[in-house]
Amino acid sequence: MEILNFPFMQHALVAILFAGVAFPIIGVFILYLNLIPLRFAMMHIALLGGAIGLYLKVDPLLLGLLCCLFSSMALGPLSEKMKLGVGILSGYFMTLTLALAFILIYKADIHVLEAFNILWGNILSLTILDLMIIGLISLMVLAMVFLFFKEIQAILYDREIAMAVGLPEKTFYYVTIFMLGLTIAVSMRMIGALLIDAFVLLPAMAATLISKSLKQTFFFSSLFGLLSGLSGLILSFFLDIPTSSMIILVASLIIAGCFVLKRWLFSYEKIR
Amino acid sequence: MHHSVELMDVHVRLGTIRILSGVSIEAKPCEFISIVGANGTGKTTLLKVINGTLRPFHGRVSVLGYDLSRLRSLNFLRREIGIVPQRSNSIRFPLRVEEAVLMGRYGKMGLVHRPRKEDWSKAFEMMEAVGIKSFCKKLVHELSGGEQQKVALARALAQEPLILLLDEPTTYLDHSAQSEIMEIIHTLHHQRELTTVLVSHDAQLVEQYSDKIYLLKEGKSHLIK
Repeated sequence: MEILNFPFMQHALVAILFAGVAFPIIGVFILYLNLIPLRFAMMHIALLGGAIGLYLKVDPLLLGLLCCLFSSMALGPLSEKMKLGVGILSGYFMTLTLALAFILIYKADIHVLEAFNILWGNILSLTILDLMIIGLISLMVLAMVFLFFKEIQAILYDREIAMAVGLPEKTFYYVTIFMLGLTIAVSMRMIGALLIDAFVLLPAMAATLISKSLKQTFFFSSLFGLLSGLSGLILSFFLDIPTSSMIILVASLIIAGCFVLKRWLFSYEKIR
Repeated sequence: MHHSVELMDVHVRLGTIRILSGVSIEAKPCEFISIVGANGTGKTTLLKVINGTLRPFHGRVSVLGYDLSRLRSLNFLRREIGIVPQRSNSIRFPLRVEEAVLMGRYGKMGLVHRPRKEDWSKAFEMMEAVGIKSFCKKLVHELSGGEQQKVALARALAQEPLILLLDEPTTYLDHSAQSEIMEIIHTLHHQRELTTVLVSHDAQLVEQYSDKIYLLKEGKSHLIK
């Protein structure tokens, strides 16, 4: 328990309590709306933002976040206007922004490692301001699911049906993409763009394996997010392993456990 | 009295391909009309035009007396139009049959509001009407194609629509099940005084149930009954 005397550990713990519960819910959105390419696009958009920040001598992380926010607001309406799926458009922006980032890094003589720092993140270096942002976004995600559960359920199940029954499907879809961008941007600060899956996607994947309703999926994804975050943090301290990697390892083990459980439940139901 | 559905010289293209080129149909209140034609003749496109998902580049579409081209938002109108789509949702989504049927009520509940007792009883009434109440706790993706089709029908009816649009509702069914579901649709059409627009490739199957039949061929409509 003495590890909790360190302020950086206290900050990491608070961040995990918020993000571990709320961010996997966004992972459920990503899985059911098939938005995995969007997550990659955001990573590269953030890299371009970081490069621009370094060039302009502005905080690269802040610019990376702003670029993510702006693009997540624009992607939904743009994909509709161009009649292209968000996935395809994400692929386009992913490669374009990466190319632009490299050109800028090369031409402006930016130190490559400095620009790439935005991709690593560090959960042990979070400030009070970071915690406030993480807390605010987490509460926004939870409030959205609590207030608009039925609308979200319809959209995740089938967007065409959501529209056919008269729900404002497009508005909800755009808000979902925006929240996704927001979550990914903040996760990058916490855990790094390359390991975002630990908080966002892996707990959601595990939850979808064993859940029989959307409420259960949200509940289990939050539970697994919290579990992998907390145990990953503590284990990393004692085993002297990078925290992000340890969280991913625990989350991966949870997925494997859920897979075995699912197989066992399936064979049990068959016998019954 | 205004027609429930009226399409006048409607032209639709998707990209550079013309799908509909001069379609005119009308369905009066409480009429059962069928639109038949081979695969790829634009039957599904026609239904999408009626519920406002696709906008024609020429022609007039009027639904329940509203000219669709003059409306900014169609959500209020869509709440009066129940749709049974052709395809069944194949993704492994954790949704029970009763939840899927209740979804038909979502548009009318209003944002934020939770399902009330009367929403649930309407959903159960429709599950009973189409014969799926016995497996209401099952997950939708575990059902056969035909059962999923019945779930879609119950959901559309739970919406208490004025207009019912059916896109090949018997696609996944064997011969006896086809007749069964057509009987259910026909009975509910009369009981609930719906205006029904059904599209099918099987003119023989829909003949006895339809007040009017249009043939869709080469992008144009022809009244054949």
